[in-house]
Amino acid sequence: MNIVFQHVMPNPLRSLIHNADSIWGKEFSLLKGQKVLLNATSGKGKSTFSGTLFGIRKDFEGSLLFDEKDIKKISNLDWSNIRKEKLSIVFQDLQLFQNLTVAENLLLKNNLTETFDVLEIKAMVDRLGIIDKWDVKCSYLSMGQQQRVAIIRALLQPFEWLILDEPFSHLDVENSNICLGLINERCSQLNAGFILTSLGSDHDFSFDIELKL
Amino acid sequence: MLRKILFQNQNKKQLVIALIGSMLGILFLISSIHYSVIINEFGKGKDMLGPNTLIVQKKVTNSSTLNISKIDFSRSEIDKIKREDFIKDIQPVLSNNFDISIETSDPLVPYFRSDIFVQSIPEEFIDVKINSWKWKRDDEIVPIIMPREFLIMLNTFMSARGIPQVSEDLVKDVSFQFKVWKGGEKEMFKVKIIGFTNEVSSILVPSSFMEYGDLKFGKINFKKITQVLILGEKGKFGLVEKMLKSRGLEPKNAQLIVGRLKSIVGTLFIFVFIVSLVTVFISILVLIQYIQLQLSKNTFEITTLLRLGYPERTLSKVITSNFYILFGSISVLSFILFSVVKMVVDKICLKGGLYISTDFTFQSLLGLFITYFLFLFLVNKVVVKGIHKLF
Repeated sequence: MNIVFQHVMPNPLRSLIHNADSIWGKEFSLLKGQKVLLNATSGKGKSTFSGTLFGIRKDFEGSLLFDEKDIKKISNLDWSNIRKEKLSIVFQDLQLFQNLTVAENLLLKNNLTETFDVLEIKAMVDRLGIIDKWDVKCSYLSMGQQQRVAIIRALLQPFEWLILDEPFSHLDVENSNICLGLINERCSQLNAGFILTSLGSDHDFSFDIELKL
Repeated sequence: MLRKILFQNQNKKQLVIALIGSMLGILFLISSIHYSVIINEFGKGKDMLGPNTLIVQKKVTNSSTLNISKIDFSRSEIDKIKREDFIKDIQPVLSNNFDISIETSDPLVPYFRSDIFVQSIPEEFIDVKINSWKWKRDDEIVPIIMPREFLIMLNTFMSARGIPQVSEDLVKDVSFQFKVWKGGEKEMFKVKIIGFTNEVSSILVPSSFMEYGDLKFGKINFKKITQVLILGEKGKFGLVEKMLKSRGLEPKNAQLIVGRLKSIVGTLFIFVFIVSLVTVFISILVLIQYIQLQLSKNTFEITTLLRLGYPERTLSKVITSNFYILFGSISVLSFILFSVVKMVVDKICLKGGLYISTDFTFQSLLGLFITYFLFLFLVNKVVVKGIHKLF
């Protein structure tokens, strides 16, 4: 699935003065399988970008196309299918169910598509160093641990694009690299692309494109 | 797991109160429907005269005895009564103008004979299959409707002779015959009892038989109408009674009492029905508000599930099915309670000699189903709309 931006300008950002290299109001495409870095300082609209791309926000001018289909014309049922099979996300605020355990949060997502079995999920949790938290409620986890749960959750489905909205903001460099490694591996398996928003760091990863806001 | 997420913020106290309200509302609703129907049908089928029917006559006073005032009805008087809103129909009751007696002609029953008077009323007032209420000149058998008082009299006679008393069904099989005469001329007719009535004190015969008797054996040419049959509008016996009083007319007392009772109790149950309807409506409203509150309390959960890829329909199914089951259980519980209440009421009625139908009325069950499906419809609408808004 290719993504085409045609002069997209979110309504809340219309009054701001944007840099010449900002993507807002421009026309450009993101091709399937590309690894994209979206670099911007705070308040430039990184989460607005993620929300718009994920179909949560519809308050923008211009057109945003998924394989030539205007996302404003996609029905709710089709959005559910897209979010289940084509587009995955790690929200900046994670959006984990605090009253559920790590296992429950992950299985809730995996149950939709039965992408992995429990052992495979546990292997991922182990790889990110939080296997001891498997049966612990998310409300008892640190932000860093919760970020890792949210990253794994986003990987538990088939997708063509993965949106990562500042996913490593509470992780140290070592854990960030482990997470990015897992993400890259999964994306390669699926021949999928990802868009990582960042406050400036490229996490020593070689991206195909860097976008600026 | 979806249930765990979507029902974690429940205020069970509020839910229980709303459910109890619904249960009582449904109980009162189906009870009031049931007993309204039962009361409406009370007496139907047991009497050959249709419901809401009165036979009235002018009050016999000193002046009428002295021939100062009339005891018969003129055509204009009948027309005036007919014009009242609460009167559906009014017809004269014709009495015999010839000598007639009834006697047993059954070897198993002792000989019994009595001079009688017979009356006829229009067919449409008689609750009987039209074919069995026909008589032609050459017909061997005359169908008759017997006053229950006559059966009591017959049984008194039987017991005085040391013969077991007969039931309504049994007496229908006893052979009777009419003897009609004028001077030396006489004619015998076999008769067949086809039903009983409390409403008149005379034996009812088909109009054609009355016409034949009057023509062949009649004593005078002009017949006075001393009784009329009134078909009142359902549930308006109060107005009928007022009219009768103002015109100096009187019905058979028992008729009016039953009519009045049916009117009063019927009105009472309509009132209970309206109150129950309001109760059910309010309790459903409370439940709907409770569901709306649940949706609002679970905004984060629903939104997140939608973002994870759960379709709206899956989430609304989880929520609605929970309430369908809850309200279904409440409906079943109400029905069980209603059955218990009904059993007790039926027993009390039976003990008091009031033979009301003990079956469940179709209308009360229909009321229960309509309430349940109305709830399903409203819940589905509220939940689907609520979730759609959060997408």
